[in-house]
Order: sequence, then structure tokens, then C-alpha cells
Amino acid sequence: MSALAVLVPVLPLLGALAPLAPLRARGLGFALAGGAVGGFACAVAVAVHVAGHGALEAGSGFLYVDPLSSFFTLTIAFVVTLASLGSVGYLRNEERTGELNRLQLRLYTAGFALFGGLMLASLETGNLGLLWVLIEASTLASALLVGLEGKARSLEAAWKYIIISSFGVTMALVATLFLFYASSPLALSPNQRLTWPALFVHAGLLQRDSLRLAFLLAVIGYGTKVGLAPMHTWLPDAHSEAPSPASAMLSAALLNTGMYAIVRFQAVAIPELGRYTNHVLLVFGFASIAIGALFMVRRGNFKRLFAYSSVEHMGIISVALGFGGVLGLYGALLHTLNHAIGKCVLFLTSGEVVQRWRTRDAGGVVGVLTRAPLVGGVLLLGSLAILGTPPFGLFLSEFTIVRAGFRGSAWLAFLLLALLVLAFIAFARTTADMATGEPAEGVAQERQSIVTALPLLAGMAALLLLGLWIPGGLNSLIMRSIGAIR
Amino acid sequence: MSVLATAESLSATSTSGVLLDLSAVVMLLCAFACLGSKLFDRYVAYYAVQSIVLSLAAGVVAYALHQPALWALAVLTFLIKGLAIPLATRRFLLDRLELHRDVAISTGLSTSLIIGAFLTAFAYLAIRPSTLPHALVASAVVPLSTAIVLLGGLAMVVRRHTIAQLIGWLILENGVFLGAITLTATFPFIVEAGIFLDLVAAVLIMITFVSGLALRLATAAAPELRELRH
Repeated sequence: MSALAVLVPVLPLLGALAPLAPLRARGLGFALAGGAVGGFACAVAVAVHVAGHGALEAGSGFLYVDPLSSFFTLTIAFVVTLASLGSVGYLRNEERTGELNRLQLRLYTAGFALFGGLMLASLETGNLGLLWVLIEASTLASALLVGLEGKARSLEAAWKYIIISSFGVTMALVATLFLFYASSPLALSPNQRLTWPALFVHAGLLQRDSLRLAFLLAVIGYGTKVGLAPMHTWLPDAHSEAPSPASAMLSAALLNTGMYAIVRFQAVAIPELGRYTNHVLLVFGFASIAIGALFMVRRGNFKRLFAYSSVEHMGIISVALGFGGVLGLYGALLHTLNHAIGKCVLFLTSGEVVQRWRTRDAGGVVGVLTRAPLVGGVLLLGSLAILGTPPFGLFLSEFTIVRAGFRGSAWLAFLLLALLVLAFIAFARTTADMATGEPAEGVAQERQSIVTALPLLAGMAALLLLGLWIPGGLNSLIMRSIGAIR
Repeated sequence: MSVLATAESLSATSTSGVLLDLSAVVMLLCAFACLGSKLFDRYVAYYAVQSIVLSLAAGVVAYALHQPALWALAVLTFLIKGLAIPLATRRFLLDRLELHRDVAISTGLSTSLIIGAFLTAFAYLAIRPSTLPHALVASAVVPLSTAIVLLGGLAMVVRRHTIAQLIGWLILENGVFLGAITLTATFPFIVEAGIFLDLVAAVLIMITFVSGLALRLATAAAPELRELRH
């Protein structure tokens, strides 16, 4: 079973070898998709095993898959699968139009495979030092994708992304050091002092001052990756400049990986620090929701709009972790999954729109429904889904989170509701205008290819399914994840 | 390795402890010197000196605590941070782009030095040796490395040129590293090696981006990076 767990990141990573073969864009895309589908299949098998038999541990904690990591692995493997299917269409189109040269196509393939594989690997390690190393490495791979198009704008976004997130991630390294230091009273080997399960068992004995510093720095450091305000400033630029499938990965996978690290730190910190951890997450969470919602009011680049929506949703997840309790954690995990699928679909849709309209400005796009019925439909329904409208999954998870809020303090729950309404209005008025209306002349009516339609339809179907019915297996995986960190 | 042995061989009065304290002070001075300079090649030179001193510090800890893995790290630090990164920056960025004076500084040099002094004082106040659970290390090193981290951050904030920001980040990184080798000398080597590898990859990518940006914009100063605004 450990071998299968190793295959989860390794299969997508193999895609990085595809550029060595004399393949055209289509072949490169299918290599990525093949690896991702294989990785997802292994992730499902591992999840079934972990849900039944408990955590997998090998290599003195360097490989550690408990239900929580399995849940995140499943989520991210699904996102990587959708995004790599989206990459097939993207690569083919860029080759046809000549926007990217052969070297850039190969760089994209290698960067994408490394990005996805390293993120999946980071979720499967119990060693917090290795977690840091892998998250930083996946960041570097994604920076390549952001700067890929090589224009001044995308290089600028990539620079901003890499310098801000390197700064943040260095803070996360300091957090890891302090956590290591906090464990010095324990009779553990140096390696175990960095291994999450060992730390979790002894969490009540950690040195308090160092632990507090470790937790705060981890929230700030990994929070920079998550895009929690006020460390979110790289996020809209990187998301708007990256190729759309890469934006989907950034928003739906990278941010969640950062959140996963925060969840791990919080679980270790709670026994000693108690409600303090919740308060920290509530402050950052509400700040992110407010900033995300306010910046969505501005109409303009629609990929930036989606990016600010990610800031808002990461804020919601952080608030849910802040509310805490079984209900709060359940909401946080379910919302992670729902948001990941929804945002992945929206960014892939945005890629289709950019390809046809050749603009990222929402004002320049009218009548998507008429010109490209499938893309327009997914844009409209996907927007409704991401805003938490029933019958989609996000309604259920946001409802759970608000309920968790009412258990704690009612006015915080009301504040959350008010911000959600603001976000709804701000987001929907832009995307509704894009989808409806009479399209201008000159936008070619293209045939919808099956490859590009597949990830959009699969994602929407999953969102709808999660809104109507949570499969028993998923439910028990989430409950076991909560059990693993409480 | 027992905690007790660590405390004895690295206490502030032992020879190794004094050497370690001294290296930390020199590293802090390098950070200040960098903050007080306006010439790109000085930035790089101060960073190189700081890294070489850091590799000495790593050697001292390796010797005092008998950690063979740290010897490897000391050598790597010397070769990569002390020689390779400064040379690459000079050759691929400074010489190629013909950069000399940094004109993109938002705060005057004296002001940033004064802020730097305040940050150093703050580091001492915030991290008193007494707040550390054991008197594990030469007492001055932890506040000094915190001060270096803060000064590196300050350099990133007041400097707007991308190369100056890159150097600021590298100085910050050196501060973290100094804290790491003293506070957590027993950090698993495989993790430490991974951290090092990430650093090297990050610097390579950053150098690529900066030269790419400079070629396109003819200037890589961050205030000129205005396209992505609201």
C-alpha cells in the first residue's frame, strides 16, 4: 500500500519527462493527463485503504498518510486531473496560433508536471521539514508557469509572486525551526521532533513561548501561500497572468496545500495554546473575506475577479477553522473540496473565454452563452455555484460553516453572512453580464472539442453531486480526518 | 546527543561560543553595511562576506558539536553562497545590465540605518536569552540572527530595484540559517539539504526573471513595474 501512496505523486511527476520525447503539443498534453489520471486513481485506492485501516507510515515518518492527508490528496489529485485535461486544449491551441514556441510548450509541460507532483508529495509526508521543502519546490515550479509567456507583464507577475512567496515561505521555515525548538523538552530523536504524528502525540508538552511563535509564523508564512490578507498581494497578479490551467492549479491546489500546512500546525498548537489559535485564524479569515469581497466590486479583468474570489474563499475556510469544533472543521474540509472543484472549473472556463475573445477584460466580453453555449452555461452555473447557491456543493459547506458560527458567537456568523452577500453581488454582476447579452461581431463561432468540454462537465457534475448528496465514503473520510487532528 | 553536552560546548564563555558570537556580529555588520550602501557591486560583496562568515560559523558549530553533516553544510555554504551566487549575480546581472548605482531607494540611507538600529534593539528586547527554554547556545546568536532577518526584510522593503530585493532576501535567508545551525544543530540533514537545494533553485529562477524583465523593460526597478495595478 505504501508503494501505491508513493505512486500518487510519482505518476504525475513522470509527465516532466514527456518534453524529452519528440512529441507535439497534443502528445505533451496527453502525457500530463495520463499521469494525473493515474495519480488520481492511486489516490482513490489509498483513501479507501486509509479510511478502513488507519494511517500509513513508512520511512520513519517521511511517508505518512493519515485520513487528513488522504482527503487533501484526493482533492488535489482531482484538481490536477481536471487542470491537466484543460492543458491538452491549451497546449494545442497555443501551438496552432503560435503564441508559444516549442521550447515554451516543453517548459510548460515540465513545470506543470513538477508543480502537481510536488504538491501531491508534500501532502503525503509527515515530516514538517520535508513538507516545507516540497511546498517551496512546488512554488518554484509554479513560478515558471506564471512567467511562461515571457511578456513583461507575466514576468512582472512572476517576479512579484516569487519574491513575496519566498519571503513568506522563509517565515514558514522559521516557524518550523521554532516548532523543532519547542519540542526540545521531549525525549525524541531529532528526526521525530520534526515528524507530525510524534509531535501531535506529545503536543501538550511542547514549550509554550516557542510554540506560540511557531504557530503565528506558520500562519503568516504558509498564509502567504494561502493568500490570506494582508499577504495576498501576489495572488491576483499571478492568477491573471498565468496560463488558465495553471491559474486553476494555483487557486484550487496550491492555496489548499498551504492551508493543509496551517491545519497541521494548528492541530499541534491547540492542546497548549487552546482558543488562541482559533482567534488568530478568525482575524486573518475575516480580513481576507472583507478584502476579497471589496476588490471584487471593481469590474475589470475577470481572471483577477476569480482570484479575489479565491482570497475570499480561503478566508471562509480560515474562519471555519477559527470557529472550530467538529462542525467548523467539517465545513472547512468540505468547503476546501467544493471550492477547489468550483474554482478549477471557473479558471478553465476563463481560459476558453480568453482563447475566443482574446481579452481578459470583462467589459470586452459579452454574450458567451450565444457564441459558445457550453462555455457560457458553465460560466453562469459555475459562478452561481462558487457563490454558494443551491443546489451546488458550496451552498452546503457554507451553510455548515455559518451554522458552526452560530454555535459560537452569533454576531460573527452575521458578519460572515453579510460579507457573503456583498461578495455575491460583486461577483455575479460581472459574470452575468459576460454570459448574457448580444455578442459583438468578429468572435468566431468555434466547434467545442470534447477534450476541452470534458473537465468542465466533470467538474460541474461533481459540484452538483456534492450539493445533493455526500457519498458515505467521503463523509467517513472527512469524519476520520477530523478525528486525526482533534 | 544529549542537551547537556550541547550546552557545555557552545556556552557563551567557551572558545567556540565566542567565535560563534563574533561571526554573528560580523554578519550583522555586513547587513548594516549593505543597508547603508548605494552601489550594486557593494551589495553583492557584502553578501559574499556575510555568507563566508556564515560558513565559518557553521564550521564552528560542526566542530563543537561533532556533527559531520554540518561540515558538509559549511562547505556547501562557502562554495554556493559565498562564491557561486555572488559571482553569478555579478556576471549575469550587474555586468550584463551595466548596473552601478541604485537610484530606486524609497528611504534615505541614514533613515534606513536608524530604522535598522531600532529593529536590532527590538530583536534584543523580543528575544532575550531568558525566554529560550535552555541556555543552549551562545546567548547573543539568537537575537543577532533575528536582527539580521529583520534587516534583510527592511532592505527588501526600502529597496525597489529587483536585484536589491533579491539581495535583501538572501541576507534574510542567511539570518534564518544562522539561527537554524545554532538553535537546531541537530536538524535532520536530509531536510537541511533540501532547504539548501530550494534556495539554489530559487536564486537561479530569480536571476532568470530579473534578466528577462530587464531585457524587456530596459529597467528592472520595481517602481517601473506598474502595469499590474488596479
